[in-house]
Amino acid sequence: MKFNEIQLKEFNRLVSRYPEGKQKSALLPVLHLAQESFGGWLSSDTMDYVAELLSITPIEVYEVATFYSMYNLKPVGKYMFEVCQTGPCMVSGSDDIIDYIKQKLNIGVGETTPDGMFTLKTVECLGACGYAPMMQMGKHYKEHLTKERVDAIIEECRKNASEIIK
Amino acid sequence: MSKKLLLEKAHVENIRLYDVYRREGGYKSVEKALKTMNPDSIVEEVKKSGLRGRGGAGFPAGMKWSFIAKPEGMPRHLVVNADESEPGTFKDRYLMEFIPHLLIEGMIVSSFALGSNDSYIYIRGEYAWIVDILEQAIDEAKANGWLGKNILGTGFDCNIHVQRGAGAYICGEETALIESLEGKRGNPRIKPPFPAVQGLWKRPTVVNNVETIAAVGPIINMGGDEYAKIGVGKSTGTKLISACGNINKPGVYEIDMTITVEEFIYSDEWCGGIKNGKKLKACIPGGSSVPILPANLLLKTAKGEPRYMNYESLSDGGFATGSMMGSGGFIVLDEDQCIVKNTYTLARFYRHESCGQCSPCREGTGWMEKILWKIESGKGSSSDIDLLWDIQRKIEGNTICPLGDAAAWPVAAAIRHFRDEFEWHVANPQESQIRNFGLAHYADEIHVPVIA
Repeated sequence: MKFNEIQLKEFNRLVSRYPEGKQKSALLPVLHLAQESFGGWLSSDTMDYVAELLSITPIEVYEVATFYSMYNLKPVGKYMFEVCQTGPCMVSGSDDIIDYIKQKLNIGVGETTPDGMFTLKTVECLGACGYAPMMQMGKHYKEHLTKERVDAIIEECRKNASEIIK
Repeated sequence: MSKKLLLEKAHVENIRLYDVYRREGGYKSVEKALKTMNPDSIVEEVKKSGLRGRGGAGFPAGMKWSFIAKPEGMPRHLVVNADESEPGTFKDRYLMEFIPHLLIEGMIVSSFALGSNDSYIYIRGEYAWIVDILEQAIDEAKANGWLGKNILGTGFDCNIHVQRGAGAYICGEETALIESLEGKRGNPRIKPPFPAVQGLWKRPTVVNNVETIAAVGPIINMGGDEYAKIGVGKSTGTKLISACGNINKPGVYEIDMTITVEEFIYSDEWCGGIKNGKKLKACIPGGSSVPILPANLLLKTAKGEPRYMNYESLSDGGFATGSMMGSGGFIVLDEDQCIVKNTYTLARFYRHESCGQCSPCREGTGWMEKILWKIESGKGSSSDIDLLWDIQRKIEGNTICPLGDAAAWPVAAAIRHFRDEFEWHVANPQESQIRNFGLAHYADEIHVPVIA
């Protein structure tokens, strides 16, 4: 497991933002890069590799990776639905959206569909309260969710995935 | 129309791009500050403006700046707190997404005032696409000579870097943010030493909210005294309010702090009234941590006077009958909303976000969540309400950082103002599962005896 040339270039850019000897500061962004580069989650091998690159001990990486909610410590589906369930989303109907996704994909919260396509997670406030209910999917937000919109998103994901395979 | 300083140009097409922003008068404050002012006079202008921290605490920004230590030969840093995570708050996101150059402009002036040659924006990890927007704005500013070495020939060097967090509300607390920026878990530090003396890499550091720094450009352009004339009392300038919940027009609004809460909720210029013709039941006016108020105490203070959208008026009456301006996250609840359930989701949020460092918060937030769920699901007893009250009291003030208080206050206020709704849940375990308590008396005119 190693970063390719493009990923290494990005790694070096991230580290260059901090003073000499303070390369540990790049740990959070480097973990994001590693997660994107190595299958959407952080295995212990990935974390050890990051520790080596930043010249810090593996435990310094583990303790950070386990603290922040955006790092996945086990494999996740190709598309991850992270549905907000905090107050403002709840009063705008997020419970119904979560139930609908569960039923539609036939999985519970924290589970992945058997084909490895979708993972459903519930998350706490993502700062989109005025556009509730909402979820994060990859790098972007899907807002003003309705059952119809959820259907369309799932459909689109399936379509995109099948095109990649072709 | 309320006066706009930050969002005045937000709707100009392509204002996100440098050329358009510059054409609309952008970066003028950098010219003025770097060429005609010195760092101390900038701090003085910001002090005169009365600008208060827009992240939630409302501490005077100029005063905070004046605390920065200046030991010989040690670099200093400005860090912008873009870890916007307080439920109900999405104003910084709007600002960064639509007019990123306003933040960059404010950062250059502020960095000059504080003597920071490397300044950082710490942005919540979920705002991943905004990182790209900010980095593009930084590249454009650099290409046009506003960042980098020897800016405008003044000898001042400045670079801005964007650091992505990874999902932790606690990193909005300034010392936790600094820890995170150093590549660690977001555990808040014990103060003192304050960041102004020992912050990032033990160097003097000022951490300010996005909106605070964005206001620096307009302050320099118009002068601190002029800025202070907008608004009322110690609530100077304009404030961004992110309005959400059961209203017709959720969104981000810039107000000049002279309008009433009633106008803000019902006027078509702002929230446009309650959705589906329902009635207003309650509101959390400044982000999930601040006390929730029933409709009657929201619209009028205990003295019976109209309540205004500013720091002083929103906190009129203290926690007994008032609330706080906080971050400006304005959450409106209609008559169909259940206060117990809403409080439960907030308690769950704080349990999830507690860093685990202090026992009262780590244990207390989980305990409150469990009890609230018990009551919400019809299994509570009346002693549970007293227990909740007792737990929140034992968290407040007993933790290193304000997350403990932030978790305690919503529970305290819900019980203080809506105790009969909690009692109704306990007394009617079955009925409470099929219907809500409703509006009840929460919008009725009240006569609170005021002791002068």
